[in-house]
Amino acid sequence: MENVIECRSLTHYYGKRLIYKGLSFNVPKGRILGLLGKNGTGKTTTINILSGYLEPKSGECRIFGENIRSMNPATRERIGLLIEGHVQYQFMTIKEIERFYSAFYPAWRKEAYYELMGKLKVAPGQRISRMSCGQKSQVALGLILAQNPDLLILDDFSLGLDPGYRRLFADYLREYAKAEGKTVFLTSHIIQDMERLVDDCIIMDYGKILLQCPVSDILGKFRIYSCLAEKMPEKDFDGIYHPSLIKGRLEFGSFLPPEEVKEKLDMAATVYSDLQCSHATLEDAFISMTGKY
Amino acid sequence: MLKAFISKEWIKTRWYLLAAFITITAFAAYSVHGIFRAVSIRGAGHIWEVMVTRDAVFIDIIQYVPLIAGVLLSIFQFTPEMQRKCLKLTLHLPVPAMRSTYVMIGFGMAALSVCFTAALLTISIPATAILPKELAARMVSTALPWFLAGYCGYTLATWIILEPSWKARTAWTFISVLILRIFFLAPAPAAYGKFLPWLALSVILSASLAWLSVTRFKAGRQD
Repeated sequence: MENVIECRSLTHYYGKRLIYKGLSFNVPKGRILGLLGKNGTGKTTTINILSGYLEPKSGECRIFGENIRSMNPATRERIGLLIEGHVQYQFMTIKEIERFYSAFYPAWRKEAYYELMGKLKVAPGQRISRMSCGQKSQVALGLILAQNPDLLILDDFSLGLDPGYRRLFADYLREYAKAEGKTVFLTSHIIQDMERLVDDCIIMDYGKILLQCPVSDILGKFRIYSCLAEKMPEKDFDGIYHPSLIKGRLEFGSFLPPEEVKEKLDMAATVYSDLQCSHATLEDAFISMTGKY
Repeated sequence: MLKAFISKEWIKTRWYLLAAFITITAFAAYSVHGIFRAVSIRGAGHIWEVMVTRDAVFIDIIQYVPLIAGVLLSIFQFTPEMQRKCLKLTLHLPVPAMRSTYVMIGFGMAALSVCFTAALLTISIPATAILPKELAARMVSTALPWFLAGYCGYTLATWIILEPSWKARTAWTFISVLILRIFFLAPAPAAYGKFLPWLALSVILSASLAWLSVTRFKAGRQD
């Protein structure tokens, strides 16, 4: 499958603090990929590198086959960018901002923007600075829909939104991306939204990628296990994420089926009983893989 | 594209530009009014004599007004771009970043030119009515470095505002103060004479500094 985004061996530091080293990933055409990670794992850094506002210490990112550091301005016409917090020109009204952007995009779809604006209870002359966070998010989304880009890069689209607007944003975006075959690369702190929206996800931990796979694989195969145990397993074993012992109950997550987990626990000489397993939500899987702390 | 950029810059700055236009013209009119009042009290001959023998130009009141107008225009125009890193939106447009930057700066320079031209005309037209051509020209040439300082203040303030790092901003501010000092070194009328083209050249060169800040912004420089 053709890759719209290709990042190779990205390494970045802020001062002496390593953010990540040798990070590589691809985003295939027509997929919605969510980047999940705790605060400080480098999600916004990755978005900044991808959108050309941060030069990594080493490595390269290519979008539509072009190195983003030397990208032809015309290629940017194919990329819709949502900045963290739905930042837009605060000093403009919804009418002025539409008129401004339309001058730069020949395939501008004015009606897509005004269709969404029609759902907001704002006057065409209302300044963006006087809108609520939710309304601003709809303006930003409307502008992206009108731009009609082939690739959407969205940084923390759920920031500051109430559940209603988050749901509206995610549903509208998914419907649009799927209907039009768009590629989307996004981050969000709210993992429930990701579950509804993304096809694939990358789970980042400090300095590395833990996992990149379809969300359906996680929802179908990842399980949360718990059992009664007096102490933690005496040795680490592969395929078990962050075991924790709370009030005599050992909990961990794993992609392994229950039979293999039993074998692993036996091999680790763990005294346990009452092994239970349940399918995990994306949030459960994320916390299990990255740990609570 | 150009029209869209101009409309964006106009939306940001229109009220400030209106206020700046009125203020600069009012200062110019006030300084000319002072000359007329002095002529009515002491006679034109006395004023000519004072201008020649005591190096008076009667428009000193306007000295720092263009500089303040230039710096404030830059603040009104570029601070909204830096709020929550809005500049990313501008630089993401399918237009070369350098073109976007200089269309914005070009708008500011053009807007300042309108204000400054109005002020210079407000001074020079009435002045030629009561002063010999040479004295009126001397008055204008004395004011020219101050107006050039207005343009330079604008470009240097833009350089500072677009700079992403606070440490660098502090350093650029210090350098800018030293550069701007050059425009106010000689208090004597028409003292800059043949140096004026060089001052004008330095203003043009100072506009290139904004691009330095934009490239640093694009590289993600931080404190």
